[in-house]
Amino acid sequence: MTYRVPVRDAGLVAAARALVRRNYRDVHAVQNVTFHIETGHVVGFLGRNGAGKTTTMKILAGILHPTSGRVRVFGETPWRRHNHYLRQIALIRGSQPIGDAPELTVLDSFRYQQVLYDVAESEFEHNLAELSELLDLDSILQRQVRALSLGERMRAGLALALVYRPRILFLDEPTIGLDISAAKLVRTFIAEYSAQTGATVLLTSHSMADVESLCPRLILIDDGAIAFDGRRDELSSVFSPTKLIRVAVTDDDPDLAQHGDVLQRDGNQWLLRVDRDAVPATTARILSSFAVADLSVEEPSLENVMDQAYRHLRSAKDATS
Amino acid sequence: MRRILRLVRLEIWRQILGWSGAWWFIVTLVIGQAVAPLLGLFVWLHVPVAGAQVGTYYLAVICVALMTASFENHTFAQSIYSGEVAAALLRPQPPVIGPLGENLAIRLWMIVFGAPLIILVGLSVGVSFSPLALLAALPALALAAALRFFFVWTLAMAAFWTERVHAVVAFGTVLIFLLGGSAVPNALLPDPLRTIAQLLPFRSMLGFPAELAAGTLTVADAAAGYAISLFWTAALGCCAVGAWRLGIRRYSTVGA
Repeated sequence: MTYRVPVRDAGLVAAARALVRRNYRDVHAVQNVTFHIETGHVVGFLGRNGAGKTTTMKILAGILHPTSGRVRVFGETPWRRHNHYLRQIALIRGSQPIGDAPELTVLDSFRYQQVLYDVAESEFEHNLAELSELLDLDSILQRQVRALSLGERMRAGLALALVYRPRILFLDEPTIGLDISAAKLVRTFIAEYSAQTGATVLLTSHSMADVESLCPRLILIDDGAIAFDGRRDELSSVFSPTKLIRVAVTDDDPDLAQHGDVLQRDGNQWLLRVDRDAVPATTARILSSFAVADLSVEEPSLENVMDQAYRHLRSAKDATS
Repeated sequence: MRRILRLVRLEIWRQILGWSGAWWFIVTLVIGQAVAPLLGLFVWLHVPVAGAQVGTYYLAVICVALMTASFENHTFAQSIYSGEVAAALLRPQPPVIGPLGENLAIRLWMIVFGAPLIILVGLSVGVSFSPLALLAALPALALAAALRFFFVWTLAMAAFWTERVHAVVAFGTVLIFLLGGSAVPNALLPDPLRTIAQLLPFRSMLGFPAELAAGTLTVADAAAGYAISLFWTAALGCCAVGAWRLGIRRYSTVGA
Protein backbone atom coordinates (compact mmCIF):
# COMPACT_ATOMS: atom_id res chain seq x y z
CA MET A 1 0.00 0.00 0.00
CA THR A 2 1.70 3.13 -1.21
CA TYR A 3 0.53 6.68 -0.56
CA ARG A 4 1.63 9.61 -2.69
CA VAL A 5 2.05 12.61 -0.43
CA PRO A 6 2.87 16.21 -1.40
CA VAL A 7 6.16 17.54 0.01
CA ARG A 8 7.84 20.94 -0.07
CA ASP A 9 10.55 22.88 1.71
CA ALA A 10 9.72 25.29 4.51
CA GLY A 11 9.13 28.98 3.86
CA LEU A 12 7.04 31.32 1.77
CA VAL A 13 9.01 30.95 -1.46
CA ALA A 14 8.74 27.17 -1.36
CA ALA A 15 5.01 27.46 -0.61
CA ALA A 16 4.54 29.79 -3.61
CA ARG A 17 6.58 27.47 -5.83
CA ALA A 18 4.43 24.53 -4.70
CA LEU A 19 1.34 26.30 -6.03
CA VAL A 20 2.54 25.87 -9.59
CA ARG A 21 4.77 22.86 -9.25
CA ARG A 22 4.00 20.23 -6.65
CA ASN A 23 6.48 17.59 -5.62
CA TYR A 24 5.37 14.25 -4.32
CA ARG A 25 6.95 11.43 -2.40
CA ASP A 26 5.79 7.84 -2.22
CA VAL A 27 5.17 6.54 1.29
CA HIS A 28 5.11 2.76 1.58
CA ALA A 29 2.65 2.19 4.42
CA VAL A 30 2.59 -1.58 3.95
CA GLN A 31 4.81 -3.67 1.70
CA ASN A 32 5.68 -7.35 1.38
CA VAL A 33 3.16 -8.30 4.02
CA THR A 34 2.15 -11.94 3.65
CA PHE A 35 0.24 -13.99 6.20
CA HIS A 36 -2.55 -16.50 6.42
CA ILE A 37 -4.96 -16.97 9.31
CA GLU A 38 -7.00 -20.11 9.80
CA THR A 39 -10.69 -19.78 10.54
CA GLY A 40 -11.37 -19.53 14.26
CA HIS A 41 -7.89 -18.39 15.26
CA VAL A 42 -7.18 -15.34 17.38
CA VAL A 43 -4.11 -13.46 16.20
CA GLY A 44 -2.41 -10.39 17.64
CA PHE A 45 -1.25 -7.89 15.05
CA LEU A 46 1.34 -5.75 16.77
CA GLY A 47 3.74 -2.99 15.97
CA ARG A 48 4.92 0.47 16.87
CA ASN A 49 2.83 3.56 16.08
CA GLY A 50 2.85 4.06 12.32
CA ALA A 51 4.07 0.51 11.64
CA GLY A 52 1.16 -0.24 9.30
CA LYS A 53 -1.23 -2.12 11.61
CA THR A 54 -4.31 0.00 11.05
CA THR A 55 -3.63 0.29 7.31
CA THR A 56 -3.49 -3.51 7.06
CA MET A 57 -6.63 -3.81 9.15
CA LYS A 58 -8.45 -1.31 6.91
CA ILE A 59 -7.37 -3.23 3.81
CA LEU A 60 -8.66 -6.47 5.30
CA ALA A 61 -11.95 -4.88 6.34
CA GLY A 62 -12.47 -3.37 2.88
CA ILE A 63 -11.99 0.33 3.57
CA LEU A 64 -8.70 0.69 1.71
CA HIS A 65 -7.78 -0.55 -1.74
CA PRO A 66 -4.10 -1.61 -1.83
CA THR A 67 -2.00 -0.29 -4.70
CA SER A 68 -0.73 -3.80 -5.38
CA GLY A 69 -0.92 -7.30 -3.97
CA ARG A 70 -3.62 -9.86 -3.32
CA VAL A 71 -5.93 -10.09 -0.33
CA ARG A 72 -8.64 -12.66 0.27
CA VAL A 73 -10.87 -12.93 3.32
CA PHE A 74 -13.20 -15.92 3.21
CA GLY A 75 -12.39 -16.07 -0.49
CA GLU A 76 -13.65 -12.51 -1.04
CA THR A 77 -11.82 -9.40 -2.17
CA PRO A 78 -12.55 -7.09 0.76
CA TRP A 79 -12.50 -3.70 -0.99
CA ARG A 80 -15.31 -4.73 -3.33
CA ARG A 81 -17.45 -4.50 -0.21
CA HIS A 82 -20.11 -6.94 -1.33
CA ASN A 83 -23.00 -7.09 1.07
CA HIS A 84 -22.52 -10.77 1.84
CA TYR A 85 -18.91 -10.02 2.79
CA LEU A 86 -19.83 -7.03 4.94
CA ARG A 87 -22.38 -9.15 6.80
CA GLN A 88 -19.59 -11.51 7.88
CA ILE A 89 -17.18 -8.96 9.33
CA ALA A 90 -17.04 -6.40 12.08
CA LEU A 91 -14.43 -3.69 12.51
CA ILE A 92 -14.41 -2.41 16.06
CA ARG A 93 -12.26 0.57 16.92
CA GLY A 94 -11.68 1.31 20.58
CA SER A 95 -11.35 5.00 19.80
CA GLN A 96 -14.78 5.04 18.13
CA PRO A 97 -16.77 2.05 19.43
CA ILE A 98 -20.15 3.44 18.37
CA GLY A 99 -20.38 5.50 15.21
CA ASP A 100 -23.05 8.12 14.73
CA ALA A 101 -26.51 9.06 16.06
CA PRO A 102 -25.64 9.82 19.68
CA GLU A 103 -29.25 10.83 20.40
CA LEU A 104 -30.47 7.27 19.87
CA THR A 105 -30.77 4.84 22.73
CA VAL A 106 -28.63 1.71 22.71
CA LEU A 107 -31.76 -0.35 22.01
CA ASP A 108 -32.58 1.89 19.01
CA SER A 109 -29.10 1.17 17.68
CA PHE A 110 -29.63 -2.57 18.16
CA ARG A 111 -32.89 -2.40 16.19
CA TYR A 112 -31.06 -0.54 13.42
CA GLN A 113 -28.43 -3.27 13.29
CA GLN A 114 -31.20 -5.87 13.13
CA VAL A 115 -32.70 -4.31 10.00
CA LEU A 116 -29.33 -3.48 8.44
CA TYR A 117 -28.05 -7.04 8.79
CA ASP A 118 -31.40 -8.80 8.25
CA VAL A 119 -31.37 -10.57 11.61
CA ALA A 120 -34.57 -12.55 12.19
CA GLU A 121 -36.59 -11.43 15.23
CA SER A 122 -36.15 -14.70 17.17
CA GLU A 123 -32.41 -14.76 16.49
CA PHE A 124 -32.15 -11.08 17.38
CA GLU A 125 -33.93 -11.58 20.70
CA HIS A 126 -31.73 -14.55 21.52
CA ASN A 127 -28.50 -12.77 20.60
CA LEU A 128 -29.48 -9.60 22.42
CA ALA A 129 -30.35 -11.52 25.59
CA GLU A 130 -27.04 -13.37 25.45
CA LEU A 131 -24.99 -10.26 24.77
CA SER A 132 -26.83 -8.33 27.48
CA GLU A 133 -25.96 -10.98 30.01
CA LEU A 134 -22.33 -11.36 28.96
CA LEU A 135 -21.66 -7.63 28.70
CA ASP A 136 -24.04 -6.46 31.43
CA LEU A 137 -26.08 -4.27 29.08
CA ASP A 138 -29.50 -4.31 30.75
CA SER A 139 -28.90 -1.05 32.58
CA ILE A 140 -27.83 0.87 29.46
CA LEU A 141 -30.24 -0.41 26.78
CA GLN A 142 -32.69 2.45 27.38
CA ARG A 143 -30.01 5.13 27.60
CA GLN A 144 -28.90 7.50 24.87
CA VAL A 145 -25.52 6.74 23.35
CA ARG A 146 -24.23 10.24 24.08
CA ALA A 147 -24.79 9.74 27.82
CA LEU A 148 -22.70 6.57 28.07
CA SER A 149 -19.26 6.42 29.64
CA LEU A 150 -16.34 5.16 27.56
CA GLY A 151 -16.54 1.69 29.11
CA GLU A 152 -20.29 1.51 28.48
CA ARG A 153 -19.76 2.69 24.90
CA MET A 154 -17.21 -0.03 24.32
CA ARG A 155 -19.49 -2.71 25.75
CA ALA A 156 -22.41 -1.41 23.68
CA GLY A 157 -20.20 -1.08 20.58
CA LEU A 158 -18.98 -4.65 20.92
CA ALA A 159 -22.50 -5.95 21.38
CA LEU A 160 -23.80 -3.93 18.41
CA ALA A 161 -21.06 -5.33 16.23
CA LEU A 162 -21.75 -8.89 17.34
CA VAL A 163 -25.54 -8.99 17.34
CA TYR A 164 -25.46 -10.20 13.72
CA ARG A 165 -22.84 -12.85 14.58
CA PRO A 166 -19.94 -11.82 12.30
CA ARG A 167 -17.45 -14.56 11.46
CA ILE A 168 -14.44 -12.32 11.66
CA LEU A 169 -13.62 -9.51 14.05
CA PHE A 170 -11.10 -6.82 13.31
CA LEU A 171 -10.38 -5.28 16.69
CA ASP A 172 -8.39 -2.07 16.66
CA GLU A 173 -7.29 -1.19 20.21
CA PRO A 174 -10.51 -2.50 21.80
CA THR A 175 -9.51 -1.68 25.38
CA ILE A 176 -7.92 1.72 24.84
CA GLY A 177 -8.88 4.11 27.62
CA LEU A 178 -10.80 1.50 29.61
CA ASP A 179 -10.28 0.90 33.32
CA ILE A 180 -8.88 -2.46 34.47
CA SER A 181 -12.27 -4.06 35.17
CA ALA A 182 -13.85 -2.90 31.91
CA ALA A 183 -10.80 -4.00 29.91
CA LYS A 184 -10.88 -7.42 31.59
CA LEU A 185 -14.59 -7.80 30.84
CA VAL A 186 -14.00 -6.96 27.17
CA ARG A 187 -11.10 -9.42 26.92
CA THR A 188 -13.06 -12.20 28.57
CA PHE A 189 -15.99 -11.54 26.29
CA ILE A 190 -13.90 -11.60 23.11
CA ALA A 191 -12.30 -14.89 24.15
CA GLU A 192 -15.71 -16.42 24.91
CA TYR A 193 -17.24 -15.14 21.68
CA SER A 194 -14.44 -16.60 19.61
CA ALA A 195 -14.57 -19.92 21.45
CA GLN A 196 -18.36 -20.19 21.20
CA THR A 197 -18.87 -19.08 17.62
CA GLY A 198 -15.57 -20.08 16.03
CA ALA A 199 -15.05 -16.49 14.91
CA THR A 200 -11.66 -15.43 13.63
CA VAL A 201 -10.17 -12.47 15.47
CA LEU A 202 -7.40 -10.12 14.37
CA LEU A 203 -6.44 -7.82 17.20
CA THR A 204 -4.21 -4.77 17.29
CA SER A 205 -3.42 -3.45 20.72
CA HIS A 206 -0.68 -1.76 22.66
CA SER A 207 -2.01 -3.45 25.78
CA MET A 208 0.08 -6.53 26.46
CA ALA A 209 -2.65 -7.75 28.82
CA ASP A 210 -4.96 -7.97 25.76
CA VAL A 211 -2.33 -9.81 23.78
CA GLU A 212 -1.36 -12.23 26.56
CA SER A 213 -4.93 -13.18 27.38
CA LEU A 214 -6.21 -13.49 23.81
CA CYS A 215 -3.52 -14.21 21.25
CA PRO A 216 -1.57 -17.48 21.02
CA ARG A 217 -0.13 -16.25 17.71
CA LEU A 218 1.48 -12.91 17.08
CA ILE A 219 2.31 -11.07 13.90
CA LEU A 220 4.75 -8.24 14.43
CA ILE A 221 4.78 -5.59 11.74
CA ASP A 222 7.40 -2.90 11.48
CA ASP A 223 7.88 -0.21 8.88
CA GLY A 224 5.18 -1.80 6.75
CA ALA A 225 6.77 -5.27 6.68
CA ILE A 226 6.36 -8.37 8.80
CA ALA A 227 9.15 -8.75 11.36
CA PHE A 228 7.81 -11.79 13.21
CA ASP A 229 5.02 -14.28 12.70
CA GLY A 230 4.75 -17.12 15.16
CA ARG A 231 3.67 -18.37 18.56
CA ARG A 232 3.67 -15.84 21.37
CA ASP A 233 6.15 -17.83 23.45
CA GLU A 234 8.60 -17.90 20.54
CA LEU A 235 8.76 -14.14 20.39
CA SER A 236 11.02 -13.79 23.42
CA SER A 237 13.56 -16.27 22.05
CA VAL A 238 13.79 -14.21 18.86
CA PHE A 239 13.91 -10.72 20.29
CA SER A 240 14.92 -11.15 23.90
CA PRO A 241 18.40 -12.72 24.32
CA THR A 242 17.96 -12.86 28.10
CA LYS A 243 15.99 -14.67 30.77
CA LEU A 244 15.31 -13.81 34.40
CA ILE A 245 16.56 -15.81 37.36
CA ARG A 246 14.67 -15.19 40.59
CA VAL A 247 16.60 -16.58 43.55
CA ALA A 248 16.23 -16.53 47.34
CA VAL A 249 19.28 -17.45 49.43
CA THR A 250 19.86 -17.94 53.16
CA ASP A 251 23.55 -16.88 53.20
CA ASP A 252 24.61 -13.80 55.14
CA ASP A 253 25.53 -10.94 52.84
CA PRO A 254 25.57 -12.91 49.59
CA ASP A 255 26.84 -11.26 46.40
CA LEU A 256 25.12 -12.54 43.28
CA ALA A 257 25.97 -9.50 41.12
CA GLN A 258 28.80 -11.40 39.45
CA HIS A 259 26.27 -13.89 38.01
CA GLY A 260 24.15 -11.46 36.00
CA ASP A 261 22.61 -7.98 35.80
CA VAL A 262 20.81 -7.23 39.04
CA LEU A 263 17.36 -5.96 38.22
CA GLN A 264 16.00 -6.07 41.73
CA ARG A 265 17.17 -6.94 45.25
CA ASP A 266 14.96 -7.26 48.29
CA GLY A 267 16.98 -8.56 51.25
CA ASN A 268 18.14 -11.99 50.28
CA GLN A 269 15.88 -12.19 47.25
CA TRP A 270 17.50 -11.34 43.93
CA LEU A 271 16.28 -10.90 40.39
CA LEU A 272 19.01 -11.34 37.81
CA ARG A 273 19.00 -10.91 34.06
CA VAL A 274 21.15 -13.52 32.33
CA ASP A 275 21.92 -14.35 28.72
CA ARG A 276 19.52 -17.02 27.48
CA ASP A 277 22.38 -19.40 26.56
CA ALA A 278 24.11 -18.91 29.91
CA VAL A 279 21.10 -19.80 32.08
CA PRO A 280 21.98 -23.49 32.73
CA ALA A 281 25.59 -22.72 33.69
CA THR A 282 24.60 -19.71 35.80
CA THR A 283 21.93 -21.60 37.76
CA ALA A 284 24.41 -24.42 38.37
CA ARG A 285 27.00 -21.96 39.69
CA ILE A 286 24.46 -20.23 41.97
CA LEU A 287 23.21 -23.56 43.33
CA SER A 288 26.74 -24.71 44.07
CA SER A 289 27.96 -21.38 45.54
CA PHE A 290 25.02 -20.35 47.76
CA ALA A 291 22.52 -21.84 50.15
CA VAL A 292 19.56 -21.49 47.84
CA ALA A 293 16.08 -21.49 49.40
CA ASP A 294 14.24 -20.95 46.13
CA LEU A 295 15.15 -20.48 42.48
CA SER A 296 13.10 -20.01 39.37
CA VAL A 297 13.89 -19.14 35.77
CA GLU A 298 11.41 -16.82 34.10
CA GLU A 299 10.81 -15.47 30.65
CA PRO A 300 10.84 -11.67 30.59
CA SER A 301 7.39 -10.09 30.51
CA LEU A 302 5.77 -9.68 27.11
CA GLU A 303 5.96 -5.95 27.59
CA ASN A 304 9.75 -6.14 27.99
CA VAL A 305 10.06 -8.49 25.03
CA MET A 306 8.02 -6.14 22.86
CA ASP A 307 10.10 -3.20 24.02
CA GLN A 308 13.26 -5.08 23.11
CA ALA A 309 11.76 -6.10 19.79
CA TYR A 310 10.88 -2.50 18.92
CA ARG A 311 14.36 -1.31 19.94
CA HIS A 312 15.97 -4.07 17.92
CA LEU A 313 13.89 -3.24 14.84
CA ARG A 314 14.56 0.47 15.20
CA SER A 315 18.32 -0.01 15.49
CA ALA A 316 18.28 -2.40 12.53
CA LYS A 317 16.42 0.23 10.51
CA ASP A 318 18.87 2.96 11.58
CA ALA A 319 21.79 0.74 10.60
CA THR A 320 20.24 0.10 7.18
CA SER A 321 19.52 3.75 6.50
CA MET B 1 -36.33 -2.62 -3.44
CA ARG B 2 -38.52 -3.13 -0.37
CA ARG B 3 -35.39 -3.54 1.73
CA ILE B 4 -33.92 -0.32 0.31
CA LEU B 5 -37.10 1.62 1.10
CA ARG B 6 -37.14 0.12 4.58
CA LEU B 7 -33.53 1.15 5.09
CA VAL B 8 -34.27 4.68 3.85
CA ARG B 9 -37.24 4.94 6.23
CA LEU B 10 -35.11 3.62 9.06
CA GLU B 11 -32.32 6.07 8.28
CA ILE B 12 -34.77 8.99 8.20
CA TRP B 13 -36.22 7.87 11.52
CA ARG B 14 -32.72 7.52 13.01
CA GLN B 15 -31.72 10.94 11.77
CA ILE B 16 -34.95 12.58 12.94
CA LEU B 17 -34.18 11.27 16.41
CA GLY B 18 -30.53 12.18 15.97
CA TRP B 19 -31.36 15.80 15.12
CA SER B 20 -34.08 16.11 17.75
CA GLY B 21 -31.58 17.39 20.27
CA ALA B 22 -30.44 20.22 17.99
CA TRP B 23 -33.72 22.14 17.57
CA TRP B 24 -32.03 25.49 18.17
CA PHE B 25 -29.60 24.72 15.37
CA ILE B 26 -32.50 23.80 13.07
CA VAL B 27 -34.05 27.20 13.85
CA THR B 28 -30.85 28.91 12.69
CA LEU B 29 -30.90 26.81 9.52
CA VAL B 30 -34.52 27.86 8.88
CA ILE B 31 -33.61 31.52 9.32
CA GLY B 32 -30.56 31.06 7.07
CA GLN B 33 -32.70 29.61 4.29
CA ALA B 34 -35.54 32.11 4.66
CA VAL B 35 -33.61 35.35 5.01
CA ALA B 36 -32.64 35.77 1.32
CA PRO B 37 -36.18 35.20 -0.08
CA LEU B 38 -37.57 37.43 2.70
CA LEU B 39 -35.27 40.23 1.59
CA GLY B 40 -36.34 39.63 -2.01
CA LEU B 41 -39.95 39.76 -0.90
CA PHE B 42 -39.57 43.09 0.91
CA VAL B 43 -37.75 44.64 -2.03
CA TRP B 44 -39.96 43.37 -4.87
CA LEU B 45 -43.24 44.04 -3.03
CA HIS B 46 -42.53 47.71 -3.53
CA VAL B 47 -41.68 47.43 -7.22
CA PRO B 48 -44.86 47.81 -9.32
CA VAL B 49 -43.41 45.94 -12.31
CA ALA B 50 -43.06 42.80 -10.15
CA GLY B 51 -46.78 42.11 -10.44
CA ALA B 52 -49.51 41.23 -7.96
CA GLN B 53 -48.36 37.64 -7.41
CA VAL B 54 -44.85 38.51 -6.23
CA GLY B 55 -45.81 38.03 -2.56
CA THR B 56 -47.27 34.62 -3.33
CA TYR B 57 -44.20 33.77 -5.38
CA TYR B 58 -41.77 34.65 -2.59
CA LEU B 59 -43.76 32.74 0.02
CA ALA B 60 -43.56 29.74 -2.32
CA VAL B 61 -39.80 30.34 -2.64
CA ILE B 62 -39.46 30.22 1.16
CA CYS B 63 -41.42 26.94 1.25
CA VAL B 64 -39.32 25.46 -1.56
CA ALA B 65 -36.11 26.62 0.13
CA LEU B 66 -37.07 24.92 3.40
CA MET B 67 -38.25 21.74 1.70
CA THR B 68 -35.19 21.37 -0.50
CA ALA B 69 -32.41 22.71 1.73
CA SER B 70 -29.30 20.53 1.66
CA PHE B 71 -26.38 20.69 4.04
CA GLU B 72 -24.13 17.88 2.88
CA ASN B 73 -21.17 20.24 3.23
CA HIS B 74 -21.82 20.09 6.99
CA THR B 75 -23.03 16.51 7.33
CA PHE B 76 -21.51 14.27 4.67
CA ALA B 77 -18.29 16.26 4.22
CA GLN B 78 -17.78 16.23 7.98
CA SER B 79 -18.05 12.44 7.99
CA ILE B 80 -15.20 12.35 5.48
CA TYR B 81 -13.07 14.68 7.58
CA SER B 82 -13.79 12.80 10.82
CA GLY B 83 -13.29 9.37 9.24
CA GLU B 84 -16.86 8.26 10.05
CA VAL B 85 -17.42 7.59 6.37
CA ALA B 86 -15.18 4.52 6.81
CA ALA B 87 -17.72 2.97 9.17
CA ALA B 88 -20.50 3.87 6.72
CA LEU B 89 -18.64 2.08 3.91
CA LEU B 90 -18.75 -1.16 5.89
CA ARG B 91 -22.52 -1.14 6.28
CA PRO B 92 -24.28 -3.55 3.93
CA GLN B 93 -26.43 -0.93 2.25
CA PRO B 94 -26.11 1.50 -0.69
CA PRO B 95 -23.86 4.34 0.46
CA VAL B 96 -26.33 7.05 -0.59
CA ILE B 97 -28.84 5.97 2.06
CA GLY B 98 -26.91 7.62 4.89
CA PRO B 99 -26.63 11.12 3.37
CA LEU B 100 -30.10 10.91 1.82
CA GLY B 101 -31.74 9.90 5.09
CA GLU B 102 -30.02 12.69 6.97
CA ASN B 103 -30.96 15.18 4.26
CA LEU B 104 -34.66 14.25 4.41
CA ALA B 105 -34.70 14.23 8.20
CA ILE B 106 -33.24 17.75 8.37
CA ARG B 107 -35.79 18.96 5.81
CA LEU B 108 -38.64 17.51 7.87
CA TRP B 109 -37.40 19.32 10.95
CA MET B 110 -37.01 22.53 8.93
CA ILE B 111 -40.59 22.32 7.71
CA VAL B 112 -41.77 21.83 11.31
CA PHE B 113 -39.78 24.79 12.64
CA GLY B 114 -40.36 26.89 9.52
CA ALA B 115 -44.17 26.47 9.54
CA PRO B 116 -44.82 29.40 11.94
CA LEU B 117 -42.69 31.67 9.75
CA ILE B 118 -44.54 30.57 6.60
CA ILE B 119 -47.92 31.21 8.24
CA LEU B 120 -46.77 34.59 9.54
CA VAL B 121 -45.45 35.73 6.17
CA GLY B 122 -48.53 34.37 4.38
CA LEU B 123 -50.87 36.31 6.67
CA SER B 124 -48.81 39.51 6.41
CA VAL B 125 -48.48 39.54 2.65
CA GLY B 126 -51.91 38.22 1.78
CA VAL B 127 -51.07 35.37 -0.58
CA SER B 128 -53.39 33.51 -2.91
CA PHE B 129 -52.60 29.99 -4.14
CA SER B 130 -54.88 28.07 -6.46
CA PRO B 131 -55.17 24.31 -5.73
CA LEU B 132 -54.51 23.50 -9.41
CA ALA B 133 -51.30 25.54 -9.43
CA LEU B 134 -50.15 23.87 -6.23
CA LEU B 135 -50.83 20.47 -7.75
CA ALA B 136 -48.84 21.42 -10.87
CA ALA B 137 -45.94 22.50 -8.65
CA LEU B 138 -45.69 19.27 -6.64
CA PRO B 139 -43.66 17.23 -9.19
CA ALA B 140 -41.40 20.26 -9.72
CA LEU B 141 -40.90 20.45 -5.96
CA ALA B 142 -39.89 16.77 -5.88
CA LEU B 143 -37.47 17.35 -8.75
CA ALA B 144 -36.08 20.44 -6.99
CA ALA B 145 -35.55 18.40 -3.82
CA ALA B 146 -33.66 15.71 -5.75
CA LEU B 147 -31.72 18.25 -7.80
CA ARG B 148 -30.59 20.29 -4.81
CA PHE B 149 -29.52 17.13 -2.98
CA PHE B 150 -27.51 15.89 -5.96
CA PHE B 151 -25.98 19.33 -6.44
CA VAL B 152 -24.88 19.91 -2.85
CA TRP B 153 -23.88 16.28 -2.29
CA THR B 154 -21.70 16.40 -5.40
CA LEU B 155 -20.07 19.63 -4.26
CA ALA B 156 -19.66 18.23 -0.73
CA MET B 157 -17.75 15.31 -2.20
CA ALA B 158 -14.97 17.80 -2.88
CA ALA B 159 -14.11 16.89 0.73
CA PHE B 160 -12.42 13.78 -0.70
CA TRP B 161 -9.84 16.12 -2.27
CA THR B 162 -9.84 19.34 -0.26
CA GLU B 163 -10.46 20.57 3.25
CA ARG B 164 -12.07 23.75 1.89
CA VAL B 165 -15.38 22.19 0.97
CA HIS B 166 -17.41 25.02 2.50
CA ALA B 167 -15.96 27.47 -0.01
CA VAL B 168 -16.95 25.18 -2.87
CA VAL B 169 -20.52 24.78 -1.59
CA ALA B 170 -20.80 28.49 -0.76
CA PHE B 171 -20.05 29.27 -4.41
CA GLY B 172 -22.88 26.96 -5.45
CA THR B 173 -25.23 28.60 -2.94
CA VAL B 174 -24.45 32.03 -4.37
CA LEU B 175 -25.37 30.78 -7.85
CA ILE B 176 -28.68 29.45 -6.54
CA PHE B 177 -29.36 32.80 -4.86
CA LEU B 178 -28.52 34.87 -7.93
CA LEU B 179 -29.87 32.71 -10.73
CA GLY B 180 -32.37 30.49 -8.89
CA GLY B 181 -35.05 33.11 -8.36
CA SER B 182 -34.31 34.24 -4.83
CA ALA B 183 -32.58 37.57 -5.53
CA VAL B 184 -34.78 38.30 -8.55
CA PRO B 185 -37.73 36.35 -9.95
CA ASN B 186 -36.68 34.81 -13.25
CA ALA B 187 -39.28 36.77 -15.23
CA LEU B 188 -37.74 40.05 -14.04
CA LEU B 189 -34.19 39.23 -15.10
CA PRO B 190 -32.97 41.10 -18.17
CA ASP B 191 -32.30 39.14 -21.33
CA PRO B 192 -30.08 37.27 -22.10
CA LEU B 193 -29.52 36.56 -18.37
CA ARG B 194 -33.12 35.34 -18.08
CA THR B 195 -32.65 32.77 -20.85
CA ILE B 196 -29.34 31.63 -19.38
CA ALA B 197 -30.92 31.32 -15.92
CA GLN B 198 -33.75 29.28 -17.42
CA LEU B 199 -31.32 26.86 -19.00
CA LEU B 200 -29.09 26.41 -15.94
CA PRO B 201 -30.16 24.07 -13.11
CA PHE B 202 -30.50 26.71 -10.36
CA ARG B 203 -34.00 27.92 -11.28
CA SER B 204 -35.19 24.30 -11.21
CA MET B 205 -33.92 24.05 -7.63
CA LEU B 206 -35.87 27.03 -6.30
CA GLY B 207 -37.74 29.44 -8.55
CA PHE B 208 -39.43 27.08 -10.98
CA PRO B 209 -41.62 25.21 -8.45
CA ALA B 210 -42.43 28.57 -6.82
CA GLU B 211 -43.45 30.08 -10.18
CA LEU B 212 -45.71 27.09 -10.81
CA ALA B 213 -47.24 27.36 -7.34
CA ALA B 214 -47.83 31.10 -7.77
CA GLY B 215 -49.47 30.43 -11.15
CA THR B 216 -47.26 32.86 -13.07
CA LEU B 217 -46.22 30.49 -15.88
CA THR B 218 -47.91 29.66 -19.17
CA VAL B 219 -48.41 25.99 -20.03
CA ALA B 220 -45.57 26.19 -22.58
CA ASP B 221 -43.20 27.74 -20.02
CA ALA B 222 -44.17 25.10 -17.47
CA ALA B 223 -43.54 22.29 -19.95
CA ALA B 224 -40.16 23.76 -20.90
CA GLY B 225 -39.30 24.17 -17.21
CA TYR B 226 -40.16 20.54 -16.50
CA ALA B 227 -38.03 19.36 -19.42
CA ILE B 228 -35.07 21.38 -18.11
CA SER B 229 -35.64 20.11 -14.55
CA LEU B 230 -35.74 16.50 -15.70
CA PHE B 231 -32.60 16.95 -17.76
CA TRP B 232 -30.64 18.50 -14.89
CA THR B 233 -31.90 15.97 -12.35
CA ALA B 234 -30.62 13.16 -14.55
CA ALA B 235 -27.37 15.01 -15.31
CA LEU B 236 -26.60 15.92 -11.70
CA GLY B 237 -27.62 12.43 -10.58
CA CYS B 238 -24.97 11.06 -12.95
CA CYS B 239 -22.48 13.66 -11.66
CA ALA B 240 -23.15 12.56 -8.08
CA VAL B 241 -22.57 8.91 -8.97
CA GLY B 242 -19.39 9.79 -10.87
CA ALA B 243 -18.08 12.01 -8.07
CA TRP B 244 -18.82 9.26 -5.54
CA ARG B 245 -16.91 6.68 -7.57
CA LEU B 246 -13.92 8.98 -8.06
CA GLY B 247 -13.99 10.18 -4.48
CA ILE B 248 -14.27 6.76 -2.93
CA ARG B 249 -11.48 5.50 -5.19
CA ARG B 250 -9.27 8.29 -3.91
CA TYR B 251 -10.39 7.75 -0.31
CA SER B 252 -9.71 4.04 -0.48
CA THR B 253 -6.25 4.52 -1.91
CA VAL B 254 -5.22 7.52 0.18
CA GLY B 255 -7.25 6.94 3.33
CA ALA B 256 -8.72 9.24 5.94
